[in-house]
Amino acid sequence: MIYSNTYEEKELQKEGKQLILSVFPLVFMVFGIAYGLANQEVLSEGLIAIFYSPTTLLTDFLKVGGVGATFINAALVGLFNIYLLRRFEMRINGLLIAAIFTVIGFSFFGKNILNILPIYLGGYLYARWQGIAMKNIILIIMFSTALAPIVSEITFGGYFDRGFNYFMGILIGTLIGFIIVPLSSHMLKFHDGYNLYNIGFTAGIVGTVFTSLLRNFKINITPVNILDTNQHITIIVMLYLLFTYLIVMGYKINDRGFKEYKNILKYRGRTITDFTELVGYGITFMNMGIMGILSTSLVLSLGGIVNGPVIAGILTIVGFGAFGKHPKNCLPIVIGVLFGGFIFGYDFTSTGFIISVLFSTTIAPIAGSFGPIIGILAGVLHLTLVTNVGVIHGGINLYNNGFAGGLVAGFLIPIIDAFKKGE
Amino acid sequence: MRHEVKKISRMVDELTTLFLKEDTNELDFKIVITKEKCIIKIVDYHTNFDDAYIEQLSKRLNSQRQREIEEYYWQLAGETDEDDEITLICAMVDSAIVEKKDGNLVLELTRLYTS
Repeated sequence: MIYSNTYEEKELQKEGKQLILSVFPLVFMVFGIAYGLANQEVLSEGLIAIFYSPTTLLTDFLKVGGVGATFINAALVGLFNIYLLRRFEMRINGLLIAAIFTVIGFSFFGKNILNILPIYLGGYLYARWQGIAMKNIILIIMFSTALAPIVSEITFGGYFDRGFNYFMGILIGTLIGFIIVPLSSHMLKFHDGYNLYNIGFTAGIVGTVFTSLLRNFKINITPVNILDTNQHITIIVMLYLLFTYLIVMGYKINDRGFKEYKNILKYRGRTITDFTELVGYGITFMNMGIMGILSTSLVLSLGGIVNGPVIAGILTIVGFGAFGKHPKNCLPIVIGVLFGGFIFGYDFTSTGFIISVLFSTTIAPIAGSFGPIIGILAGVLHLTLVTNVGVIHGGINLYNNGFAGGLVAGFLIPIIDAFKKGE
Repeated sequence: MRHEVKKISRMVDELTTLFLKEDTNELDFKIVITKEKCIIKIVDYHTNFDDAYIEQLSKRLNSQRQREIEEYYWQLAGETDEDDEITLICAMVDSAIVEKKDGNLVLELTRLYTS
């Protein structure tokens, strides 16, 4: 049965919503500059190190460029994308919020303000070629920057002569931006919308094709493991404050938000579940804040380090708190991954395992639709796949969990259907 | 408009699934395409939906068209009968008339061809 809840909340203008979203990159910018100055980091050198890094999985910018430069990079990427939303006068819906937070999150490991640009250029050329407005595809392009590492890898991986490397990086990035729109739409049918990071699945396929082609030319892209192993308390405190800010803003928009919060838990979360439309912006912002606090607390309780990839995982969950994820449909998947980790003997404190736990919530709609037992099973299956598929695309697809999640959903859904009786 | 006929077909597919599964066993569709717009007329006979539900459906179908959602997700419409894609249909429609007439639910959905 289709339903949306009737809710009453304060009318919020588009600019007000953009401002709430802008708080994250603005705070990151101030924090980055302040941290850099306080700890005598040379921010320009840090940024250059980030720009010149091949950025394949897992390249933690906190390690490569330092804390200050990394936060400035994330702020620049975030503000650039929010500017685009303003420029195209986009309605702030749940998907758009998810896209902004995902892009900002992955600016802590993989995306920088330079390597994403060729993909936008490719998207622009596609829009011109098809005679459609750029605003129609901008969201897909924002998500498709998952493949930004291929631009950095081609440019700075040492495969081409100086000068020609820039040309090749921009060319391949532009090509990816051009082809990603029809591909991403088509790939949905494989998992029927049960994988929230659909672009991750698409980028996994594209990355696999590109990496295979490059390997024919003796260019062997392999995943790396460059990670910051320091726990930065200031970052953790800032994240908690920002998530609390979201809850407070949600409450200000809808002062019955806490009472009505249970309404959001009724939704399965399958694409398209836009909470801004179904339960309003107030409860949506509250859900985002709650998801942020829960995921950060989970990381800390597992003994994990809140480094670049982990921040990406947390911010992505926060973003998709506006588009399908809530505690009820995420919990069984997380339990499944933890159970799988226990059975297979994973180190719960390792960043690789922690981000698998966080990003596994891409398949939260499976738990939301088919219940906690299937959700736990899907979580176990996700863990086994995500630890094996990265090598196929050589780490150039940042949304590796989206790739694995697509495979899990595409594999499980028909099987679940086979066991169902009745209509 | 790229894949316009296919998009309309998928919308009809989704709405057919929705109404037959949730409400009725008798349904009429009429599709009219002009240079400026496409109109999909639907009659869901002997509806069981109550007035509150119909009002809510009308409100959602008359929310702002979201072309970025359409461009990305249109291939999901009609894809499964496990869940509905009414949010997607709402994103693909510019305006709608939704009313109850003689016990039937009558809808007229309009898609404009200006970007």
